[in-house]
Amino acid sequence: MDASPTTLAAPAQREYWDRLAAKGRSRRRATTAFLYAVLVLGSLPIVVPYLWLFTVSVSGRTGATTVVLWRTLAILLPALLAWSILRVTIADAKRLMRLELALGVVTLIAIAVITGPYLHAQNWRFLWNKNIADDLKGASGVGGTYPSVWSAFANSLILAVVQMMLVVTVATLAGYYLSRFDFRGRAGYLRGLLILHAFPAMTLIIPIFLLMHWIGLLDTLTGVILVIVALELPFAIFVMKGFFDAVPWDIEMSALTDGATRRQAFFLVVLPQVKVGLIAVGVFAFLRGWEEYVFVRTLLFEKANWTMSLYLYWMYEDVMGTDYALVSAIGVFYVLPSVILYTACQKYLTQMTVGGIKG
Amino acid sequence: MARIELRATSKTWDDVVAVEPTDLVIGDGEFVAILGPSGCGKSTTLFMLAGLYAPSGGDILFDGAAVNEVEARDRNVGIVFQSYALYPHMTVRDNILFPLRFKDVPREEALKRANAAADLVQVREYMERKPSQLSGGQQQRVALARALVKEPQLLLLDEPLSNLDASLRLTMRSEIRNLQRKLGVTTVLVTHDQIEATTMADRIICMSRGRIEQVGTAEDLYHRPDSLFVASFIGSPPINLLQANAAGGQLAVGDGRLPLDGRADGKVTLGVRPESVVLGEGSLQGRIDDLEPHGRETIYHLTTPLGGVRALEAGAVARHKLGDTLPFRFADSLVFSTDSGRRIDGARAIAA
Repeated sequence: MDASPTTLAAPAQREYWDRLAAKGRSRRRATTAFLYAVLVLGSLPIVVPYLWLFTVSVSGRTGATTVVLWRTLAILLPALLAWSILRVTIADAKRLMRLELALGVVTLIAIAVITGPYLHAQNWRFLWNKNIADDLKGASGVGGTYPSVWSAFANSLILAVVQMMLVVTVATLAGYYLSRFDFRGRAGYLRGLLILHAFPAMTLIIPIFLLMHWIGLLDTLTGVILVIVALELPFAIFVMKGFFDAVPWDIEMSALTDGATRRQAFFLVVLPQVKVGLIAVGVFAFLRGWEEYVFVRTLLFEKANWTMSLYLYWMYEDVMGTDYALVSAIGVFYVLPSVILYTACQKYLTQMTVGGIKG
Repeated sequence: MARIELRATSKTWDDVVAVEPTDLVIGDGEFVAILGPSGCGKSTTLFMLAGLYAPSGGDILFDGAAVNEVEARDRNVGIVFQSYALYPHMTVRDNILFPLRFKDVPREEALKRANAAADLVQVREYMERKPSQLSGGQQQRVALARALVKEPQLLLLDEPLSNLDASLRLTMRSEIRNLQRKLGVTTVLVTHDQIEATTMADRIICMSRGRIEQVGTAEDLYHRPDSLFVASFIGSPPINLLQANAAGGQLAVGDGRLPLDGRADGKVTLGVRPESVVLGEGSLQGRIDDLEPHGRETIYHLTTPLGGVRALEAGAVARHKLGDTLPFRFADSLVFSTDSGRRIDGARAIAA
């Protein structure tokens, strides 16, 4: 406790600085607490619906039973509050991590204990039951049998993947050309792309229907894929052009003098620089195809052609009444690939608007 | 190695003339610099040599054969860009190996050559790194290694030193020079920096507005500039240019008069290098308005009856003070025709 003889500050001065330090500390804490409060409150309206969907899918019995949701929230909200308090008050990083871990474990155990008795996998029976209609109350309203969910899943996957590959390929080539070559009408072409992107696609639905009918692509996945590709391309081309614009000409010219042909220079030197753009455009195209509803609803009729969105829709529209628990489970199943893909690629997606290739 | 020749080679973009019809011969193994301000067409000329731009007129000859229609990839030309243009996604090794991919070089042999090129510019220890993990000087060396690994018959350097800091520039200057001497590869350096050009090149091609102003050694360009442009572009601090009228063996400069040696008439421009202004003696008078000590030398700004004159005097300590009025003379001078901008051979102002 002995004051060191080398201390220069007189006691009065030390008190003065201590007081200011305490003030600074409490102000920092207040700011952090406020931020946590705003973030928690702001994210609740986003998180709760997903939580509803998930809890109903694993606990509902024909109707949407919300007991599990309320019980989960009853644990989760205090846990969030406790976590925020921990983050604000504890400065030592190691101790904070230990306490956070303990809090997380306690919360999970508590949720498991008080919701455990309600949980069951019955709503997920659509995954293994070939004909879900037989299990519904009585007969189904859409003429007997439903197709397997895996057929819808495969259709959605084909639609999303083929559409994505077409968009990425065409947008890459077109974006490169627009970025590197000068041709008559280039400015008009770019303006046209923007206008096309701004054009509301819904207004085209009837002409597209007729067009598909005339060329015989009505009620085929190919037709829907082509329509979505056409609508997606303008924006994708624009994004890819931006990425190519950011690639310096020097490295391309350098590749040419190093002995590469233009095509080799493109594939070996330029394309690797726009990797982020390829991934971003690809992911967005995939998600767009995966979530597509309006055009599949209009252009596809056969059950064998149903995509996930149509499967979900018809499950919901069953004339014998909606099984909300089942629909929730299908909803969770439907949204899972998007969530996984998005989480895996978000690093690239956030760079899309920047269009940078540095790093 | 190759002997390079331009025959009435020109380049126009739509209506804009980038390079006017130009004749030039670069000898086998020679190191020439194309020197000029930005926009003078020097980089365009370089890219035409590389085959990246097709000339709008005239011919480019390598060893006497026209190569106008030969693609860049087949010209066997090594080029170092100002930005180095390394491939960011490749390691240093892959960067250096890149030119060999397109030649039928066996993997073993290619690696051996890449290592030799890396050794030449001392980047062997960085072979596994990406370009972004290297300093500017190291990137520059890698770019050189990549340009040299294919044993080019022509090496092109586009402002290779302008992104380096001053001390590194000094070492790279002599390193590139030594490398070129060792390999004997015909080399064209493009630069706007006269020091780079004069210290590295055997011959300098001074360009302005798409035209060659003068071709010669550093000494030619400095002491015997063909035109006002060359005289004012070369030399730091810049040459003194004084408007004058020549008549009857006399030069009327400002309010002063100087005897004229040689034949000149009408409007002329008198050029005097700052180091040719000798302070402390002579028949002219001037007052020191400003002085800049540079350590090794001092630059004085004088007000004289002839107009403003810059003088340079060697020595770490300034011998004169601000405000001093003192005599001076011109040890040497050049006379240019103001209208044509050409130097008048043999003409000289005598100001003893």
